[in-house]
Amino acid sequence: MDLGLQGKKAIIVGAARGIGMATAEVLAREGCDLAITARSEDGVKDAVAALKRYGTKVVGKACNVKKADDYKEWLAWAIEALDGVDILVPITSAGGGLGSEKYWQNAFDVDVMGPVRAVEAVIPTMTEQQSGSIVLIATTSAGEAMGGPQAYNAMKASLVTWGKQLALAHGKDGIRVNVVSPGPIEFEGGNWEMIKGTMEKFYTSQLRQQPSGRLGRPEEVARAIAFLASEAASWCNGSHLVVDGGFTNRTHF
Amino acid sequence: MDVKRHVTVQRVDPQAWPNGTPVEKAEDPDLGTKIIPADRYFSPEFMALEWQHIWSKVWLLGGRADDMPEPGDYICTDIGKESVLIVRQPDLSLRAFHNVCMHRGNRLRPEGFGNVEKFRCLYHHWAYALDGQIDHIPDLDTFPQGAPPAGRIPGLPVGDWGGFVWFSLNPDVEPLETYLGSIPQNLDPYHFDQMVWTRDITVEWECNWKASVDAFNESYHVQGTHPQLKWYLDDVNIQIDCYERHSRYLIPFAAISPRVELPSAIPPAIDEIMRKAGMDPAEYEGRVSDIRVDVQKFMRANGHRFGKDYSDLNDDQLTDDYHYMIFPNLSLNAHADDLMLFRQRPHATDPNKMYYDIWMFGLLSEDEKNSPDKPYRRPRHQHYKHGDKTIGTVLDQDAFNLPTVQKGMQSAGFPGLWLGQQELRLRHFHKVIEDYVYGPAGETK
Repeated sequence: MDLGLQGKKAIIVGAARGIGMATAEVLAREGCDLAITARSEDGVKDAVAALKRYGTKVVGKACNVKKADDYKEWLAWAIEALDGVDILVPITSAGGGLGSEKYWQNAFDVDVMGPVRAVEAVIPTMTEQQSGSIVLIATTSAGEAMGGPQAYNAMKASLVTWGKQLALAHGKDGIRVNVVSPGPIEFEGGNWEMIKGTMEKFYTSQLRQQPSGRLGRPEEVARAIAFLASEAASWCNGSHLVVDGGFTNRTHF
Repeated sequence: MDVKRHVTVQRVDPQAWPNGTPVEKAEDPDLGTKIIPADRYFSPEFMALEWQHIWSKVWLLGGRADDMPEPGDYICTDIGKESVLIVRQPDLSLRAFHNVCMHRGNRLRPEGFGNVEKFRCLYHHWAYALDGQIDHIPDLDTFPQGAPPAGRIPGLPVGDWGGFVWFSLNPDVEPLETYLGSIPQNLDPYHFDQMVWTRDITVEWECNWKASVDAFNESYHVQGTHPQLKWYLDDVNIQIDCYERHSRYLIPFAAISPRVELPSAIPPAIDEIMRKAGMDPAEYEGRVSDIRVDVQKFMRANGHRFGKDYSDLNDDQLTDDYHYMIFPNLSLNAHADDLMLFRQRPHATDPNKMYYDIWMFGLLSEDEKNSPDKPYRRPRHQHYKHGDKTIGTVLDQDAFNLPTVQKGMQSAGFPGLWLGQQELRLRHFHKVIEDYVYGPAGETK
């Protein structure tokens, strides 16, 4: 199956590590030009260097998504550097946390306004070219309890609703919007590696909930994202794809 | 080393706190690479040599001065086959003497602390004054030989430093100050005397006392025994300093081990460090690798808000573990707000057993000091056997290995300890033991 990603231009926000980095890698391998960002300058530099080995154009600059003006400037720069944009994957997150009101503000600024500002930045270009694909990243924690009643879970849930309504609004312009909800994903430097090291009992209990007895790997989510981002998913619009190896309990009707 | 990242730890400038704890790296002693013989951990012969040349010769920690502020207050502490009374005198000075009745040898008091007017033996009611002088012998006229000629229980050298009281079984011991060497200069800035008891536990451990000292003298075991601490401290970039008979290492806390990738989220244990310092981790905008220095800056700027005076401590001491070993048997984890002290005592007769005393102290905040509803109360002393009860995750992990270490040491297949550079303090500890036991020019096994 040809994904039709060759020559597409993709913007990935939060691409230095984990699922973001894996997504960038899959897209680069499939022939996409990339503009990436993350908070850490070193992280972006390393990621750009690693991604260039697939031979496409890869540009990157560090940016703190929380700083709205810097972020909007970065988005404009990315579209210009790529000379357009076909694919947007805004994946960056402030992560979880309980016990301070500030976690709500963090989740809103990063997990919600990160995607909102990115979508607003790409919609004019995508509308003009009458094509584009946006993949938002939510979480299985939006639908099932994880780590207590936290802002991260609730704010991520809003992306599922908003993603569907974006799809309804922009479908007429050839823009598809889909949402991917990953379950627990483990990688070096990631939260689940740390949880495995610091909260072994909790980690083991989560493993038991995974039918296959392991957590997911970033590339297993990245491939699902790449599919939804690609022409091969031309009839997927407004869908919400749970990619969790069967982790969640409920049936996704 | 098996690391994922190269990490440069920011440390304080040695010149910046001229009157504080010295932070210069001491030159590493050349102690070779020889095997440390295993038999010294289990042989009754070596145990006897240790008693003769170490326990009955050096200064030993007896207790806390704040457990005995008033005349008649005493601490009774056991070491090996001996038991000692340290007593506050009417003029508030200290005296120490053997805890034994000169009549038939009964012990006068059980281990612990309390207050007496006189020490009266429960057997025949011989009584002793606070200074150990015989005060009363019932029916003295029935002893044709009279009272024991010295008229007292043999006295022992006693001293105090750092809010602690010390004694020696050696009447000719050097002054405590000489014995401690640079330790007071190193640790006085913490003001341990202003801290209060928070935990007082003794656990009977199924190992030689040295196996316990060893366990706390190196950070090499963190990756094997405490994997969770890789998201709490830097077990790779530590500074080891060996002094004359004591030693230390400085471990960066609120740091991520170079053995793992840097996480983007704040690890739970570092989150707790930040909250304890008064920071809100949710407000934190820096990288996880910047937290240690930012906690230092925050505590420096805000310590007074919580009624805590850190002015004598350098910035690293606000987060890091300054870990001292005071020969022969004390491990001190010194922190700005607390002290975690382990006293490791040999069993009276069995080299395969020991007493592990967990003594923890903390600085009270202004709120804690002035809380009429919840006044501070000294925790009661508790006594457990190995594995009876949890003593906290990290210490449980340490305790877990020791009985099997003690058993394995006695295997015909095990000649002795094969130590690496990260275990330099163990090598130094054993060199000091050898100097005491065999003499500096003595047998080198």
